[in-house]
Amino acid sequence: MSGTAASPKETPAYYPGCSMDGLGKAYEVSCQLVLETLGLPLDRIEEYNCCGATEVKNLSHDVSVALPSRNLALARDMGRQTVVAACNGCVYSLARANDAMEDPATSARINARLSEGGAPTYDGQAEIRHVLEYIRQRAGPRGVRAAVTAPLKGVRVAPYYGCLYSRPKRYTKVGLEPGRDNPENPYFLDELLEACGAEVIHDYPAKTICCGGGHALSDLDVSVAFSASVLNEAKRAGADVVATICPLGQINIENNLDRIRQAYGPEVLLPVAYFTQLMALAFGRSVREARLKLNFSRPDLFFRARGFA
Amino acid sequence: MPIVEKSLVEGLERSESLQVEGIDVSGDWNTFIASRVHTDLDLSIVDWVRGQPQGATIDRCWQCGTCTAGCCMHTDYGLEEFNPRYFIYLAQLGYDKELARYAQTVWRCVSCNKCVERCPKGVKVEEVVHSIGTYLELTGTAPKSPADRFDEAYTRNLLARGILDEAGLFQTFEAGEGRTLPTGEKLRMGLRLLLTGRLHTGPLAKRTRGWGRLRPVLERMLSEDLARRRQDLPARLPPKGGP
Ligand code: SF4
Ligand code: SF4
Ligand code: SF4
Repeated sequence: MSGTAASPKETPAYYPGCSMDGLGKAYEVSCQLVLETLGLPLDRIEEYNCCGATEVKNLSHDVSVALPSRNLALARDMGRQTVVAACNGCVYSLARANDAMEDPATSARINARLSEGGAPTYDGQAEIRHVLEYIRQRAGPRGVRAAVTAPLKGVRVAPYYGCLYSRPKRYTKVGLEPGRDNPENPYFLDELLEACGAEVIHDYPAKTICCGGGHALSDLDVSVAFSASVLNEAKRAGADVVATICPLGQINIENNLDRIRQAYGPEVLLPVAYFTQLMALAFGRSVREARLKLNFSRPDLFFRARGFA
Repeated sequence: MPIVEKSLVEGLERSESLQVEGIDVSGDWNTFIASRVHTDLDLSIVDWVRGQPQGATIDRCWQCGTCTAGCCMHTDYGLEEFNPRYFIYLAQLGYDKELARYAQTVWRCVSCNKCVERCPKGVKVEEVVHSIGTYLELTGTAPKSPADRFDEAYTRNLLARGILDEAGLFQTFEAGEGRTLPTGEKLRMGLRLLLTGRLHTGPLAKRTRGWGRLRPVLERMLSEDLARRRQDLPARLPPKGGP
């Protein structure tokens, strides 16, 4: 990327994506709580469109680049360089479009179509960050620790990053720039949860496996098997709760709970929560405020039993 | 040399005990590959894949196998015959007949992108694998897979309003697959989502302002791309199903 680096003071643009606005509501709400506490503002891209995730590209390369490019163009029109998204799938498709738009011929072709459809054109200069990276970069473990009023003492958490948070680095640039996470062994989530006082299982083997969410409806066996191993490996490592950073992963795992119970037995099941829900608790928000009851795996019951209000 | 991917080799002969020049070598050297000669190779497939923007990196592959070694379908899910390195190899070789045996396998890639992350040659493995699958489907070698149907339902749903209607997508796709509509538990789940403001479907579906202008442009791009990938097929393979 040829542009100048984003100013560290810039308020980034926030790309909600359709899952944050729909099924991922608990994530959206808890994210806002956490960012508010840490004094990290984000400006929402209001008239966004869905990014196309990993599906559209299998039908049309150009449509799959045009969809995210329109959103990135809106962010640029707001005068922003950094675009923060909270969903792994969104981070992937936005970053993939960025990569494609580096090619001048592609950029000219896509921008011509965007103008024809009355959409702003994209200059290719946005930088994409997962909200986890944004929190880690701006507040850091120290900033998080300073905000903790109700440490997650004695809570054993399995940090689940899923597949597309950092992968592939040729798109996300994770690991290729200073201050970014490690694409093979990500650790930002470990650090933030630890700063919240949790006991983090650093060598959780399922950290970066796929949840099978992309094929949740088309290949049920695969999506059940992958979501079961996310839980199973956490259970084996002695976790009390699994922390997620991706609404698609969270929804896929929770939607498979009944089938996992049938196939592997109830002892595999564990509460699953967005990392921002856990952080909100540590920042003194109530179980209700952190929307833990919205999760089908009912982390609210676990945390109430542990004395959280 | 040991034969590593034994499952791929046809005509393996194994002898229980074997002596070579009076020395017993059973156990180490008792497996042989029957000799095979193939003359019916056809490079149309690799030509087609290379011509698609998603498959353009196929020629960079030097067959190291890194993608397969970490592939979550191959390794974690344990579907041994899901082998991206081998799919690419067969495409490069033009060995359609062997590839046809994987017609029910190639589509199962879950797009986790570990292969793209790790490929030392910059092959966009996941997209190349999808392109190979698309070729198999367009030439009638593989039936249209549930994943292909999902991609289509997803894309149409998204293009309608600019914002995905998750519940609507679930319903159209499930109905299209001939599965019964949700009852009991599922309905209760749906109701709970609706009451907690997490379901925006039907009349509540969201839409992007100004989408009406961009939508026809994107739909034209989509149909042009779909038409082009059929036109690019080799002439002697009339595309199956529709224009
Ligand atoms: S972990 Fe699952 S939901 Fe998350 S990006 Fe990967 S496939 Fe998608
Ligand atoms: S990792 Fe890359 S170069 Fe190696 S076999 Fe796979 S596609 Fe080919
Ligand atoms: S993207 Fe597909 S081919 Fe690549 S590692 Fe994942 S499942 Fe395997």
